Amino acid sequence: MSNRRSFLRGASILMGHAAFGQVMTAFAAAPRKATYFSDSEMVTLRALVDVILPATDSPAASAADTHYFIDLAIPACASAAAQKVFREALKYLGRKNFANLAPAKQVELLKARAAADMELPYDQSFFKILKDYTLTGYFLSEVGATQALAYERVPGGFQGDLPLKADQKAWAI
Amino acid sequence: MATANQFDAIVVGSGMSGGWAAKELTEKGLKTLVLERGRNIRHVTDYTTALKDPWQLPHNNRPTNADRAAQPIQSTLYLYDQSTKQHFVNDLRHPYEQAQPFNWYRGYQVGGRSLMWARHVFRYSDLDFTANQREGVGIDWPIRYADIAPWYEHVERFIGASGENSGLPQLPEQILQPPFEMNALEKHIRSHMAEKFGGERKLICSATAVLSREHNGRGPCQGRNQCARGCPFSAYFSSNGVTLPAAAVTGNLTLQPDAVVHSLIYDEGKNRVTGVRVVDANTRDTTEYFAKVVFLCASTLNTTALLLNTRSARFPNGLGNDSDELGHNLMDHHNGGGATASYSGLSDRYYRGRRATSMYIPRFRNVGKREDKFMRGYGYEVYTSRGSWTRGIDSADFGADFKNEITRPGEWNLYMEGYGETLSYHDNRMWLSPEKVDSWDMPIIQLSMTYRDNEHAMAKQMMDDAVEMMQAAKLENVTGFNHPVTPGSVIHEMGTARMGRDPKTSVLNAYNQVHTVPNVFVTDGSCMVSSPPQNPSLTYMALTARAANHAVELLKRGEL
Repeated sequence: MSNRRSFLRGASILMGHAAFGQVMTAFAAAPRKATYFSDSEMVTLRALVDVILPATDSPAASAADTHYFIDLAIPACASAAAQKVFREALKYLGRKNFANLAPAKQVELLKARAAADMELPYDQSFFKILKDYTLTGYFLSEVGATQALAYERVPGGFQGDLPLKADQKAWAI
Repeated sequence: MATANQFDAIVVGSGMSGGWAAKELTEKGLKTLVLERGRNIRHVTDYTTALKDPWQLPHNNRPTNADRAAQPIQSTLYLYDQSTKQHFVNDLRHPYEQAQPFNWYRGYQVGGRSLMWARHVFRYSDLDFTANQREGVGIDWPIRYADIAPWYEHVERFIGASGENSGLPQLPEQILQPPFEMNALEKHIRSHMAEKFGGERKLICSATAVLSREHNGRGPCQGRNQCARGCPFSAYFSSNGVTLPAAAVTGNLTLQPDAVVHSLIYDEGKNRVTGVRVVDANTRDTTEYFAKVVFLCASTLNTTALLLNTRSARFPNGLGNDSDELGHNLMDHHNGGGATASYSGLSDRYYRGRRATSMYIPRFRNVGKREDKFMRGYGYEVYTSRGSWTRGIDSADFGADFKNEITRPGEWNLYMEGYGETLSYHDNRMWLSPEKVDSWDMPIIQLSMTYRDNEHAMAKQMMDDAVEMMQAAKLENVTGFNHPVTPGSVIHEMGTARMGRDPKTSVLNAYNQVHTVPNVFVTDGSCMVSSPPQNPSLTYMALTARAANHAVELLKRGEL
């Protein structure tokens, strides 16, 4: 992981720069605004991505802003049919107050939805779309790729046959 | 005639073939103009996505609806994503018409598709060069292995390739750097195949134009496997990184991007092409450039379009088209047959880095004994890896246990597909629209190609053999597939201006010269007489180098 380390070293030099530090503080302070989903839909979505990928030895999906990834990617990348299905499901789960249910209730509700949705074609299946965008958003984010998984931007070569270490995470790409 | 527009040689196209023509001609002292229809892409400097992490790309590298709308054909390619889309054409700006479905994947830029190619480089053998003659298909190649072997060597020494020589006569020995290492599953398959099939069917590391060692200041490969973005380490072969820089250092190269060649200027009195007509891709202004010799390396379909669009009293159906074969005998490989499998063993083995090539099983059908169901053969590309997080997408599971499971390496998976030869059929062809033109006043290309009984029978066997081999290797969940293939999809479109001995049945001679207009050379895939199953780029490069050196000899002797 020497390349990742040197990348972080580069970042820390930047961080030491006073102006840059101020920019980062300002950025962190400004609440992030969704572009496509409503505030209440975002609350539901945030809860959903964390039920799918909760905090373990790596951060939860929301800590990587996976719900904001979905807010940008669904209108840009999903078909019109999928967008409609997705939004309707968020509204429905909002009415069920999904975000404020007890964790066990959330799991129960999503399991029921999964069982029904796994039978449907992708564009009509809220659960399939949600899984697709949640996993893509999280595991290809910096948090997901480098903390939940292993990532090397420049591996430096190829070693084909190594013993698997006990704590080895899967490669992100 | 402005002297600024006068050169010794003009090369149309800057891709795989054009780069080689430029290098050979400039190194022999010819002032050479390379005309490229697309924009310039400078090596490294213009590889804008090369070092981006997934999260630095729009939508974590996922194409958008707008991308797919602008590039409806290009976006169907496995390589297409946010990091590579700039290397593929806008299909709406560059229309063509499909009388039968045909996926035409194109890169209109300096370097052409040498920027995004799959980099496999194998030689053809006399099994390939004699096949048409032995089997009475199409016409005979005008060359044999001995004619091209020194040029394969010339090209391999310069481009630098790694891989494993198979020791099989149908895959002639090459000049290769050491191969990339096999992973644990590949080693397992290799030893089981050796046990079951002796030396007849074997798994080797593909010969690939990716450097496993430093070569002429380039490389070695850094294990990113993001070649199609352009390589900042110059570790794979592209025109941009290798041949065009070599041409530039001679001082004899003029590279002109954004130059759409519309037609050739033919002088009937001299029976020579004296130059080319160019339309500026942006302003649409027209310019004429002149030279003693012209190399057409615009890629198969565009090169033939250029010849078809050069009409005169002498050649009413296109330059050099006395045979009426111009546009005919279009081929592509087919890769619909193969298998998938998994393996639950070797769970204590993994790998590091992303290997920028596949494993390969060389052709074994119609090598010794003749098959009764089909002619010719196929080789397999074999890809293996351990399961990644993507295996979680299609499952109904979620939650902490799910996350812990899919962030660990999963079972081993295998995907293999055959690459089969397609016979030459006269009515698989392209032609020019009689009425429609594009934005540069070039008639639109129309084409019609289908696979036939021989290809279908072969594809079935491709599937069955893949299943048999993976079962012999004791893999699990071995599942064959044989899905229909849209022609063009392998991106090995070739033929339409074939070489041959007889001007009555072919367009080009044994040195890729237009039979009837000797100062025009055609050295891209359009020259192909048959479509041997190995990847064709190395052969295009070797034929180009050979033709360029021949052209220089003829010029010296005053014969052009």
